[in-house]
Amino acid sequence: MILELGEFTRVEGNGKAEVIIENGEVKEARVKIVEGPRFFELLTLGRYYWDVPDLEARICAICYLAHSFASVLGIENAFGVKVPEEIQLLRELGLIGEILESHSLHLYLLVAPDLFGYPDAIRMASKHGEIVREGLALKAFGNYIREVIGGREIHGINVKPGGFGRYPTEDELEKIDKSCDALLRFAKRAVNIFATQEVFGAVPEYHIATDGYLYGEKLIASDGERFDYFEHIEEKSLPYSFAKQSHYKESVFMTGALSRLMVKSDRLTPIAKELFEQHREKLSRGNVSLNNLAQAIELVYSLERAKEIVGKLLDHGVKGENVPIEPKEGEGIGYVEAPRGVLIHHYRIDENGNITYSNIITPTALNHALMELSLYEEARKHYGAVDENFLKHKLEETVRAFDPCISCSVHLVRL
Amino acid sequence: MKLGVFELTDCGGCALNILFLYEKLFDLLEFYEIKEFHMASSFKEHDHLDVAIVTGTVSCQRDLEVLRHARNYSNYLIALGTCATHGSVQGAVEGKIRDKLEKVYGTRANTMKALDPKPVVEYVAVDFALPGCPYDKMEIYQLLIDLAKGVEPIKKDYPVCIECKLNEYECVLVKKGLPCLGPITVGGCNAICVKSKLGCIGCRGPLPKEANPAGEFEILRNLGYDEEYLRRKFKTFARGELRW
Ligand code: SF4
Ligand code: SF4
Repeated sequence: MILELGEFTRVEGNGKAEVIIENGEVKEARVKIVEGPRFFELLTLGRYYWDVPDLEARICAICYLAHSFASVLGIENAFGVKVPEEIQLLRELGLIGEILESHSLHLYLLVAPDLFGYPDAIRMASKHGEIVREGLALKAFGNYIREVIGGREIHGINVKPGGFGRYPTEDELEKIDKSCDALLRFAKRAVNIFATQEVFGAVPEYHIATDGYLYGEKLIASDGERFDYFEHIEEKSLPYSFAKQSHYKESVFMTGALSRLMVKSDRLTPIAKELFEQHREKLSRGNVSLNNLAQAIELVYSLERAKEIVGKLLDHGVKGENVPIEPKEGEGIGYVEAPRGVLIHHYRIDENGNITYSNIITPTALNHALMELSLYEEARKHYGAVDENFLKHKLEETVRAFDPCISCSVHLVRL
Repeated sequence: MKLGVFELTDCGGCALNILFLYEKLFDLLEFYEIKEFHMASSFKEHDHLDVAIVTGTVSCQRDLEVLRHARNYSNYLIALGTCATHGSVQGAVEGKIRDKLEKVYGTRANTMKALDPKPVVEYVAVDFALPGCPYDKMEIYQLLIDLAKGVEPIKKDYPVCIECKLNEYECVLVKKGLPCLGPITVGGCNAICVKSKLGCIGCRGPLPKEANPAGEFEILRNLGYDEEYLRRKFKTFARGELRW
């Protein structure tokens, strides 16, 4: 017998799951991405490097900046370009904006309705309007940062190899500074709300993240390894899905907010660190549902860190100078933390600056194996004990904890 | 009025942009009841709809079924965003579907029933086509308000250039020689990329009628841009539509 989970709702993109039951026992769970393929690797092949980040952004609207930054980093690494601190800080600020926008969308609009027992945030707003509005305020602020740094809320083209089209003004930076203080209270409340959520989902064997908090030169894993993705991550295609599945050293791993906290808690800002310590024991259990609480702590981190960055930029004044680029033959990888975890863009470029090879690996594809394992374990735990609708609801909640982004995961991989 | 939002294959941006209306979303809810919007709600009622919004391209059999359902159950169908109106980036990847599958997934088997990506408008009649990758969120707000109030919506029919002039942005084509597609792209975004001092990449799709893509192509070629480069740039968002 196959138990079908219709198309997931309150997740980005189109996906389904099926749980295979034989002789009254759960045998297997499969996550199927039913969204059509988009062939981004073919789209950028042969194109001039300058135009590529704008195209890659279109992989996903929720995390478009993570895609354009990963693309820019891959291109800069291929050319051996290094950017000064000012540009690094502005990039980090952009990624923070995206974390705020994406985590608040996920926590308040997609997950909170489960906690409060509503089908969506709009209906939830009738009784809990305040909470929903706090979420919208955080999301709008994240989007404001994305507009200032990225050029538009969605798919701005301001992020460029070597720098930016336009640099933020002092007014814009001051506005960001003020909002950070005002919103911190909401973010702290989010931590309290999501700390009460029950714990479910599988426990990964390893966590994987980039070596810097929001982007880096290499990947790091919870076993202390520092590596390039092709050294230890193995991918395979699946016959029933438009996404690929990955393993680290042949084991199931996780990437995302929980992973970042587990391997990089030493970099947290003061209040976020305190909250992390307070919930450390619970988070250390490692079940995927704790990703929600980890995201809430990252809301706090993002606001604190954005304030630090803006402070530095205002102190030094923004010079707004791009690093000039001379195209040459090369190969480079960009590692970025998208809100949902590690995102990898890998390019080869010819001497004219045209792309000859591209490989993109997204967090949802990286988490695919863990998602199936979690569904399998949840299904085993509840099958037979609860009625089918309740079981389906539980399974859907499990998928949602990953904050899967299906648009991202549908397009793959080595040419 | 009953509203449904249906997402085919895309980046999620055009559906997400509706949620980015924030408080204005609650204004829309004065007129509309959301019957289906899978990104935002687990609530779903298979019912007749007054307005169906469809985003994305038809890229697999499932998309086609969703689109047919949306068309058959609604009075007004809005193709929302450049994916739905022109094919956007995924529509620009040339070649046969099985060849593409082989290159990317290493097999010609098409077990998931992928289709060559095409815009919604190539499969069904639509009542409104609102391009933009993504569109400006106030555009969908205005269109939905107009429909609810029975007002005939206004269609944008001017190039991005007009918005540069209104904002007094320096022309990046004339002054910097950048390959800006503003002259042949439909306006409505407030020339936001030119605000970043960059050339328009044409994400709102080609301006019909007066636009002169051949002329623009000639100008850019004379500036020294490679023909193949320009050809791919022109076709990025609008699947083979700009001919010259
Ligand atoms: S038109 Fe652009 S923003 Fe809209 S869904 Fe398509 S790719 Fe995304
Ligand atoms: S300026 Fe061009 S590329 Fe930018 S948003 Fe407007 S139409 Fe799209």
